[in-house]
Amino acid sequence: MPVNPKQIKMIQFKDVSTIYDNDESVEILNGVNLEIKDGEFISIIGPAGAGKSTLLRLLTREISPFKGEIVLDGVNLAKIPAKAVPLLRRKIGTVYQDFKLLSAKTAFENVAFAMEVCGADRGEIEIDVPKILGIVGLGDKLKSFPHQLSGGEKQRLAIARALIHRPRIILADEPTGNLDLVNSYDVVKLLMKINELGTTVILATHNREVVNAIGKRVISIEKGKIVRDQIENGKYVI
Amino acid sequence: MGTTGIMVLVLFLFSGLMSLNYLASQIVSGLEAKVDVSVYFKNDASEEEITKVKSDLESLGTVKNVEYVSKDQALNEFKARHAGDTLVQDSLAELDENPLQASLNVKAGDSSQYASIVTFLEGNKFRSLVDKINFYENEQVIKRVQAIAGGLQNWGFLVTMALALVAVLVTFNTVRLTIYSQKQEIEIMRLVGGSNWHIKAPYLVEGGLYGALAAGIVSVVFYPVVSFVSPKVEALMPGVSLISYFVSNIFQFVPLIFFIGILLGVTSSFVAIRRFLKI
Repeated sequence: MPVNPKQIKMIQFKDVSTIYDNDESVEILNGVNLEIKDGEFISIIGPAGAGKSTLLRLLTREISPFKGEIVLDGVNLAKIPAKAVPLLRRKIGTVYQDFKLLSAKTAFENVAFAMEVCGADRGEIEIDVPKILGIVGLGDKLKSFPHQLSGGEKQRLAIARALIHRPRIILADEPTGNLDLVNSYDVVKLLMKINELGTTVILATHNREVVNAIGKRVISIEKGKIVRDQIENGKYVI
Repeated sequence: MGTTGIMVLVLFLFSGLMSLNYLASQIVSGLEAKVDVSVYFKNDASEEEITKVKSDLESLGTVKNVEYVSKDQALNEFKARHAGDTLVQDSLAELDENPLQASLNVKAGDSSQYASIVTFLEGNKFRSLVDKINFYENEQVIKRVQAIAGGLQNWGFLVTMALALVAVLVTFNTVRLTIYSQKQEIEIMRLVGGSNWHIKAPYLVEGGLYGALAAGIVSVVFYPVVSFVSPKVEALMPGVSLISYFVSNIFQFVPLIFFIGILLGVTSSFVAIRRFLKI
């Protein structure tokens, strides 16, 4: 019997706790248990400081849990040696509220930079970068600098950069935080399109309209704990 | 600029120490070449007895060569040395007999062996024949030169080490500032999965370049400085040519300076990266 990819437990948080600055009395996440299947689209909602971003940073091993373990594709992230962490990060694309674009580089160069630092050759870059910028709708903005792009375009450029390594997972931390409603919908539509093509998307947001429009799984976090997990057609409820 | 400047100073001092080392070794070996043990015999010692002492000395493994200077030969050499001095010549003419003593000039294979040769000559066997042994004055001079050179080298080494530490700290700080100013690029490189090598290498190269630039400056500047100093040194110590020493060793000197400069720079960067660049 063929395995349904949706049933694969791709990401597992097992009783994960994190603390602030080695101070055990300040817990950011507190005993989080969570399973995310391959190809899911998840919105993580909660007030500022609830632990949404911390949850995402744990997945890229920017931080490590104080207690518990995080398993990705059957591998405990804590067991990955330091020099293999860059390979983990190539499996995970990240998108942020502040775009994290290099202002002195063009749209092409911003995406190419992500390939260069991973050792891609020039020929590969010349082929892949225009293609990915075309996919996110920036095919005519290759030579534009970030300051010449609108907020929505900047975020689409950041998404293009996140996609360049063909990641299995996209982590989007408040990607619509700096955008108006129209651009927010554009960005979310793009993320949904990426998800339809098979990439797992984890979106941390407190944008009610966006979450309600997506209509997928919604996890609510408050004070470092998961307080609600709406598996189907979730709504923004806190 | 400051980073390269301090490295130039360190490498310049190091080069100066190498020159000092060369000069000291030349002075010591020059003195050592002049050192011998002169054994002066009493007037009643016969030529046969002196020849016996000479052959006994030659049988010692530590002796390189023994030269016999007879009383007459010593007088002739003395007269020749003071040929223009009428007072000396007149005084000698007044004397009834040759006042100079027969002697043996003994050269050892190694300067450290003179003491044992002197002990051998001071033994009972020759006590009745030997009037005096002239060695200790030269030994004192050699020891003094060695002590001064050693002291200068030790202090020079300490100053160079202290400046090297300053150079490491200055380079460390410069690389730290570069890391800080490129914080965003580094963050993006980390997030997109840039390899450790791709992220760290530019800073190691930066440190190495400071060192290489400083070494290049020292290599270019040191030659004219040596050219200027060399004739003055040669006037004081004939036969000691700093410039020919550096020209003949240029293929060892330049790579060594570059090696030390690059090593200092890369080490500083390495420490800065470990401290400030978390991946």
